[in-house]
Amino acid sequence: MRKSSASRGRGIQRVLTPQIYISSPCSKAVNPRRQRRQNTASAGDESADWDIPRIAYLYTDSTATTLRLDEVMAFLRDVLGLRCDLRKDFFSHHGGRDHEALARAIAASRVRNILRPFEPMEPLYGEIHFEHRLLEDPSKRVPGILYDAFRYTALMRDLLPPEERSFRVLHIAFEHRILGTFDEDGRYHARAVVCAYPSAVSTSSIVEGPAKPDAYYRVKAQLAMALGAVPFDAAKQPFTGQFIDYDDPRLTEVAKGYALQAATYHITKEAFCTDPACRLFNAHRQSELLHAQLESGKLCARHETMATAIRAASRARKD
Amino acid sequence: MERIFAGEGIDCQSLCRLAGIGRGTGVGYMPIFGEASEAEVTRAILAGFTKDLGEYASTEVIIVGGGPSGLTAARELALNGVRNVVIERNNYIGGGFWIGGYLMNTVTLRSPAQKYLDEIGCPYKKYSENLYVTPGPHACSKLIAAAMDAGAKIQNMTSFEDIVLREKNRVAGVVINWTPVQALPHEITCVDPIALECELVIDATGHDAYVIQALEKRGLAKRIGEGGMWIEKSEDAVVEHTGIAYPGVVVAGMSVCSTYGLPRMGPTFGAMLLSGKRAAEVALKELGRKPKKK
Repeated sequence: MRKSSASRGRGIQRVLTPQIYISSPCSKAVNPRRQRRQNTASAGDESADWDIPRIAYLYTDSTATTLRLDEVMAFLRDVLGLRCDLRKDFFSHHGGRDHEALARAIAASRVRNILRPFEPMEPLYGEIHFEHRLLEDPSKRVPGILYDAFRYTALMRDLLPPEERSFRVLHIAFEHRILGTFDEDGRYHARAVVCAYPSAVSTSSIVEGPAKPDAYYRVKAQLAMALGAVPFDAAKQPFTGQFIDYDDPRLTEVAKGYALQAATYHITKEAFCTDPACRLFNAHRQSELLHAQLESGKLCARHETMATAIRAASRARKD
Repeated sequence: MERIFAGEGIDCQSLCRLAGIGRGTGVGYMPIFGEASEAEVTRAILAGFTKDLGEYASTEVIIVGGGPSGLTAARELALNGVRNVVIERNNYIGGGFWIGGYLMNTVTLRSPAQKYLDEIGCPYKKYSENLYVTPGPHACSKLIAAAMDAGAKIQNMTSFEDIVLREKNRVAGVVINWTPVQALPHEITCVDPIALECELVIDATGHDAYVIQALEKRGLAKRIGEGGMWIEKSEDAVVEHTGIAYPGVVVAGMSVCSTYGLPRMGPTFGAMLLSGKRAAEVALKELGRKPKKK
């Protein structure tokens, strides 16, 4: 388990910050070689320890109207040579019929106080009903609630059938819920991608996590003072194109990069790159995100080499 | 006209003819209002009040809090033939709906909440894509009138004190008292409260969530408190969480934020109106009633 060291952006009235978190509660227990793999110089030296999955399952986020997962799968096939399959959203696929119990478990992973570490609490009656409604209608997107990424991915992991719960199977769930982790600075931070087992890419966190331009927060604050409300659309208008928004047509391209980070982490236990022009860069600001995923849209030389090696290893797999 | 007075050289009947207000009485004053003695006025107040109080001593829904969400819920329920009463601790009804942010009396609503203003006949202007503005006093008075026109009853200057619990700890009413009683020292006042029975209570008491607090004091429910995040689409979360919070209790409006720890939103009223509407829908379902088509 480790975190990126890049500095975080700060914005007026913004409590959610964009740092992406790496967590691997499963790999730590299963694969003790993880530590010595990290920070090694050559991809060739590491390849013996890689966990190349026989298949990657991608789970759709029904609320993301502009997310085209077939393109994301094609991207993973091209870059890493992974065999991919598309599934409906995670809880629809693995959640079973007992939505009541699942709703209770999801509600129990809510963050109650973003300024304190996670404190388990019996979920409220209305919270369970709310989650139940979302499970019944996965196309309903209701951000505004932060879920603890550790509890949430642990819950997802518990739902995986035993035959799919191994490093030979990669799971990347696209989610509309905002996932976050508590950081050393004493508060929770939203994470666009949670690299764990399974990994989760939050389409809402891609919007809410990385900091928008500083001026946006100033305009938002000024308008809020003047109008007594937060006119998000009016505040965003001068900055159109400078950040990923809900239902943004660029979401698919950005999602490719986050799916790549999750897949790379699964295979090598290394998700991030320090090169701002690499798709594995850990972006804390929307400008960094756009640069890494859209303007550059490439891997750095080192990770390109690594991806080539992974691709070759994937294609050499017999199973 | 203004220079002519009864007793100044012109008789009352002539004066009334001049003023065009019917026949004079010949007693030296203008009879604008019909006669009613003080005692009759007192009896009328008592009769009206006791009739209303008698009716809602046992009613279907009690809405605690007369802000925008409570009034909207009251109107929607009344339109569907559900007997309900709004309990409001202040003399004035409407809560924070009179003013917007920073004491400025323009209130803002995000789409689609402006459609509700259409329903109650309140004008508004489009400020930007998806954001609408309207004068707070106009919107608030329209909403109060719309709720009462629909048949909702309002009991103002009345404070919620406690809940009535029945078998299996289901909430089955509220305990109320006059608001001024609370302001007096306990040593010199001993005014016992009274209880009203109902099938469902809607907690629309705003940030305080008094009904949920009353349950919390008994260890029957918990309140998370408002969250610190301020992110887009928080209003959706408020509407979506509006519903049964405890057997016999529906939470609406800002009580929802307080109960579930949802983000603070600032004074955006769209969520309050739609939350009130949702609360009424949930209440109808709980009461086993089908919504009437408008």
